[in-house]
Amino acid sequence: MYKLLGKRALVLLAMLSFGLASVGHAAEIKTDKPFATKKIVLQISDPNPFKQTLVLNVASNLLKAYGSENIDIEIVAFGPGLRLLFAENVNKGRIATLSSEGVRFAACKNTIRGMGKKLGHPPAINPTAVKVSAGVSRIMDLVDAGYILIKP
Amino acid sequence: MKLLKKAIITAALAGGMLAVGQAQAANWLMLQGTEKPGQAARAKVWGFVQVQYQNDNSDANKAGGYIPPKLTPPNLSSQSAFNVNRARIGARGTGMPLDSNVNYFVLVEFGNNGITEPGGSFAKLTDASITLNHIPGARIRTGLFKYPGAEEGLQAIHVFDWVNFTDVSNQMLLERFPNQSYTPNIPPQSIPTGTDLQGFDDGVGAFRDVGIQVFDSFMVGAAKDWDLSYALMVGNGNGLNFSDNNSKKDIYAYFSAEKVFKGKGPFREGMKFLGWSQTGVRSYDGNNDGVSENYDRDRWGIGFKLKKSNYRVTTEYMSGDGMIMVGVANPSFGMGPGAGKPGKPGNGLLAEADGWYLEGGYRIPKSNWELDLRYDTYDRLKGDKFEVEFKTWTVGAQYFFNKKTRVTANYASRNYEAINFPSGKGPNAQLDGVNGRASIQLTHIF
Repeated sequence: MYKLLGKRALVLLAMLSFGLASVGHAAEIKTDKPFATKKIVLQISDPNPFKQTLVLNVASNLLKAYGSENIDIEIVAFGPGLRLLFAENVNKGRIATLSSEGVRFAACKNTIRGMGKKLGHPPAINPTAVKVSAGVSRIMDLVDAGYILIKP
Repeated sequence: MKLLKKAIITAALAGGMLAVGQAQAANWLMLQGTEKPGQAARAKVWGFVQVQYQNDNSDANKAGGYIPPKLTPPNLSSQSAFNVNRARIGARGTGMPLDSNVNYFVLVEFGNNGITEPGGSFAKLTDASITLNHIPGARIRTGLFKYPGAEEGLQAIHVFDWVNFTDVSNQMLLERFPNQSYTPNIPPQSIPTGTDLQGFDDGVGAFRDVGIQVFDSFMVGAAKDWDLSYALMVGNGNGLNFSDNNSKKDIYAYFSAEKVFKGKGPFREGMKFLGWSQTGVRSYDGNNDGVSENYDRDRWGIGFKLKKSNYRVTTEYMSGDGMIMVGVANPSFGMGPGAGKPGKPGNGLLAEADGWYLEGGYRIPKSNWELDLRYDTYDRLKGDKFEVEFKTWTVGAQYFFNKKTRVTANYASRNYEAINFPSGKGPNAQLDGVNGRASIQLTHIF
């Protein structure tokens, strides 16, 4: 009986460990800036067009203030804010410039799916952006990894 | 035929540009007809208000009475007046923000001006258009909107640097449409005027038409700093009126090439060259026989605009053939022996006209002041015995309270003369005594 329980406990422990490891793996953030002393995640989820300009301005100003090597920035777009990462977005030039300076862009797959239903086809996303399963969970992972969340 | 050739050349030039990259919204065609992809609001409410005071220092005719150029527009009932000449509110955007391929533009005029005063409209729809952006290089705009044409007419009026239009634009391009039936001219009136000197039943065309336009804009060159634009449009040729009064359609063609220096939107700095043409037909009982005839109305022009740092220089030449208005008090399109007699001296239905202007502005560094100077000339009824030359110098100053609010002060020194008549004779009996006009206007954009 105890042996059986012991085996089950071991299996349970192994599963938990695997699960935790998986969670830990999900929270692992790949960055090209290992020496960055500041880590920022910028959220855009607002339909207000002005917010698109604002979030890009904030990223740009942070790079200027700290230097691109010293700050790691990821912009996570979900909900109505995903329009920032539409391939046709008027800010695609600025996005390319920021990307070349190391700013990462994450696009929420849930939002892409939802918008695809309304449009009849998935919206074309800026190739600079990385698609993440959920924008909010991506932000949580980044916060867990020490990033400071800013929602301009 | 000449106009058709110009249209074909313009279209051919434009067609050659289709293979290059698209421009952002950075010229009048694009600013008014498109929205920023991926960023447009569902409904951006916007508008502007212009309040003005004008004082005309002209003398009465020697025989007594006043004519329209000696009175304050649009009511033409006195020589000085406060007026809310423009009060427009509208919305623009994209009904479905997820789809940047469709956008709209709606604007209504509540002010008192040439759009609303004739006919006594309380308000008038000036713009209601839908743009389809599905075909690369060939956007389609349809509805009521500004037709592609001269810079002075096509540019957004709320950023226009003057209170009044030049005479060539006001008289030759800003169309007054023929009345349903022959309408006799209105003689000079004393003040206060007993009869409305505004002889046309409908408001001015406001440089707009109802129709369909194909257009686009492309950034080309090694540095992608040349903005090439084209537009081809077919319209009713009946201004803000929704219906057409004949089966003939107006055809508009436009081409511009702009070297972009910096900036964006209406204040973008650049050097622009442009050319345009329009051709159409108007139906009117011009000979007062109870039956309407068709009259050709053709216009074309070229222009140049330089905006750099604190300077702005613009010049345009415009030419017109047919349907030459000889004054809002003359809805017969004729004066003297030409009233009701197409082809006779003094009648504009088959006549020609042309004109040009040169204007510029200097924004004083580190200040909110701008100084402006403009010279414009208009030659009405060219080669006709009743040919009149309108020459005006206008000095201006603008003070910018902020980017959306400014006050514009102008003083226009006018010299109007029928060149084939001595002073006091023929049209000069009325044009003698046209003097300076002072105006001040406050503009607020929201």
